[in-house]
Amino acid sequence: MRRRKAGPSGVVEAPLDVRSQVQAREEGLLSVAKGRLKTYEPGDNVRKFLDLLGRRVSRPLAVSLTACVHCGLCAESCHYFLARPHDPTMTPVWKADQIRKIFKRYVDWTGRVVPWWVKAGSVHDDEDLNRLKNIVFGTCSACRRCSYNCPMGVDTALLVRFTRGLLTELGIVPEGVFNVSRDQWETGNQMAVTETDYLETLGWMRDELRTELGTDTVEIPVDRPDCEVLYTINPREIKFDPRSIAHAAKIFHVAGESWTLPKWGWDQTNFGLFSGDDKLGAFVARNVYEAAERLRAKRIVISECGHGYRSTRWEGYTWADFDQKRPTESVVITLKRYLEEGRIAVDPGRNTEPVTFHDSCNIARSGDLVEEPREVLARVCADFREMFPNRRENFCCTGGGGLLSMAEYRPLRLEVAKIKADQLRATGAKLVCTMCHNCVDGLNDVIKHYKLPMRVVQVLELVANALVVPEKSSR
Amino acid sequence: MSSLLRILENEVQIAALVFLVVVYAVRLAWLFRFKVHKDRTVAAGSEGAGIGYSLMAIAMPWSMESTRRRPGFYAQFVIFHLGVAAAIAASFVIPYAPGFFEIRPIAALFQAIIAAAFVVGLIRLVRRLTNPVLREVSSPDDYFSLALLVLWFAAGVLALSSRPERGEWPLILFFGLTAFFLIYVPFSKIGHYLYYPLTRFYLGRALGHRGALPPARQKRAAAVAGERRS
Repeated sequence: MRRRKAGPSGVVEAPLDVRSQVQAREEGLLSVAKGRLKTYEPGDNVRKFLDLLGRRVSRPLAVSLTACVHCGLCAESCHYFLARPHDPTMTPVWKADQIRKIFKRYVDWTGRVVPWWVKAGSVHDDEDLNRLKNIVFGTCSACRRCSYNCPMGVDTALLVRFTRGLLTELGIVPEGVFNVSRDQWETGNQMAVTETDYLETLGWMRDELRTELGTDTVEIPVDRPDCEVLYTINPREIKFDPRSIAHAAKIFHVAGESWTLPKWGWDQTNFGLFSGDDKLGAFVARNVYEAAERLRAKRIVISECGHGYRSTRWEGYTWADFDQKRPTESVVITLKRYLEEGRIAVDPGRNTEPVTFHDSCNIARSGDLVEEPREVLARVCADFREMFPNRRENFCCTGGGGLLSMAEYRPLRLEVAKIKADQLRATGAKLVCTMCHNCVDGLNDVIKHYKLPMRVVQVLELVANALVVPEKSSR
Repeated sequence: MSSLLRILENEVQIAALVFLVVVYAVRLAWLFRFKVHKDRTVAAGSEGAGIGYSLMAIAMPWSMESTRRRPGFYAQFVIFHLGVAAAIAASFVIPYAPGFFEIRPIAALFQAIIAAAFVVGLIRLVRRLTNPVLREVSSPDDYFSLALLVLWFAAGVLALSSRPERGEWPLILFFGLTAFFLIYVPFSKIGHYLYYPLTRFYLGRALGHRGALPPARQKRAAAVAGERRS
């Protein structure tokens, strides 16, 4: 059967689903009652949107909104356009122009004089805002590849996030975005993990690890003060992949690290990055920073998560208006340090299958880590193969930008994932390693959809696998 | 020289230039009214190095995949902008240092550059009219600005080879267009050179702070080598 392609209209016309929002209002959720989590109200949304647009534009945004010369060079940097080369609406420039034309019409005085001459335009009703929602949430993973390839330096990913933020303020968001934001506002973590579930899972992993190592000295400490490391994780690890916590605990144990997880403020992921909601971003990031303060931890270590790393290491401090006081690093950096300092020993012969590495967009392009994971993998894998393009030019896993939570855009996401699938297939690797839980799910979707003979692993898993456990640690 | 040409070359140009500067000043004042958030993080790289790299990116076609993979497009960009620079220079040299263009090889060099830019301008116009992506995003200003530049290049070539005894119309056309440009540019896409340093500055500062720019030499080399292999 021929696979039906999702045409541009199929994505752009996806209706606004507000069932969860109605339910949240009816249930009187605290986040809704306090006005933190915005829900959709039919009415004067266009005026509110334009007011927000005028008030929220920062200078870096203003120059990116002003400077585009429509040269079209960004087109071929976008996996959406590469997979759909005959569809101009998939180009970064077209997507950015949807907010740019409104900016020109209402904020930029040169566009107000003769709007049609510079293609300035407007939104007229909630239907237009919904179409804008579908463009900025459904046809862009905010991977920032186009920003790196724009000769003018226009940061289209920044514009997309900004537009998402305006729409989030009006409740005009995909249902999945609302649901995850609700959970993070309400419970402090994006998967609504209860404290009981959290503590029980940690206990379960501790017991497994004790059995594996044959010692009762292994701990997964919670809320222990004055540690060197405050370890923060992705709720996905509690819900779906607790072994990754065990891997980290095993390595910390062997390295003789003084570490703890916090009871509150353990979620380093941050849906504010995806929804464009800086207030949610600030709330979640502050939880982590305050946990480190409360427990007097010397450094914050972030488990393998792309957007979590970007949010906690980079954006969160600014959102929360919180001066960074302690080192905040990815666990991959911690692993690299252990290897360099000889605190752990590894045997690459235990990872013999060919491995390739997928760079998370939020870590490589919006962060600072490209060589470090490779240096770690070079020590723990026997057969490492680079994929091309790589590092800051790598392609998105196609699940970035929160797209994994937006079911309505899944057909298009998987269609444009062809670019990633081709890239993965060309490596001939059996394992694709990534330092991002979101990419794990994104890549798993690609592998399943395109029937690739490989599986996804993370750096922690490969290091834990290669770890040589000294007798004193396993007694 | 007719009084029309004399006024066009001098008073009109100066008035138009003053207008351009005033509008640009207002434009910059408007842009600087928007706030910049303070970054609260400890840097992993150098903002200065990031800004420097970002600003120079346009002179390093290898630094971006988009220009590295399309050397022909990049060559067109260089020729086009050299033509703009040559034509702007000519608009000052002709009235204020006319002897300079009496050196034939120099005048011929300027003509050649502007003529090449004219050809590239035509290619760009055709591309904008025929490429579905560019057609979709182009505004009337995009077409008009480009067409006007093409016309200006043609006028520049003619002005540089004009002989007053054969008529002043090539110079009148060139300086008339130049004056119109000076007034029109701040409102059009042609004014992008005013924004280039700003977009590049903020992108470079943000990514330089994080250590993402500039990429280390060996890292970039590895990425490019891979691209060739693939």
